[in-house]
Amino acid sequence: MWSYEKRLQFPVNIKEPNAKLAQVIISQFGGPDGEMAASMRYLSQRYSMPYREVAGLLTDIGVSVSKLHILDLSRCSGSFGFRSFKIFQ
Amino acid sequence: MGSNKEQLLRDIGIVDFVLTELTLYLDTHPFDCHAMEYFNHYNRIKHQMEKEFSMKYFPLNTRMAESSKEWRWGMAPLPWEGECG
Repeated sequence: MWSYEKRLQFPVNIKEPNAKLAQVIISQFGGPDGEMAASMRYLSQRYSMPYREVAGLLTDIGVSVSKLHILDLSRCSGSFGFRSFKIFQ
Repeated sequence: MGSNKEQLLRDIGIVDFVLTELTLYLDTHPFDCHAMEYFNHYNRIKHQMEKEFSMKYFPLNTRMAESSKEWRWGMAPLPWEGECG
């Protein structure tokens, strides 16, 4: 089902490696409340979504979220959370 | 030369951002002709840029991986190796 592109969504230029910061970022990505878990929720909840167009939307959002290898994490999770909140209202 | 590669990748990223957001909008507004025109326009541009990049540097996806002497897709840098933007 997936295909991917060999490029980043946003250019990254790490000037100063920072292990402590990396630890925070990796947990935001793969941790218990991370983007990876969120994307899996989007991609499994879509199967029981009663509105067809929203099931499609959940698929597209789930894919975008799983693509966030580099990110301003708090901003991304914030906007995606807001988006899904709006849908389910 | 090197900056052109980076510039092209950057431009692709910008257009792709537009397309990603438009996709989500169109998912819930499937009959918005104006938005579809917008989508088609940027989709064409992105396709063109991807083709240009793939011919000059390395294939960005497997659909553009046509190779003869060496498997260009496999030889291309991986996204986390620092050469993909």
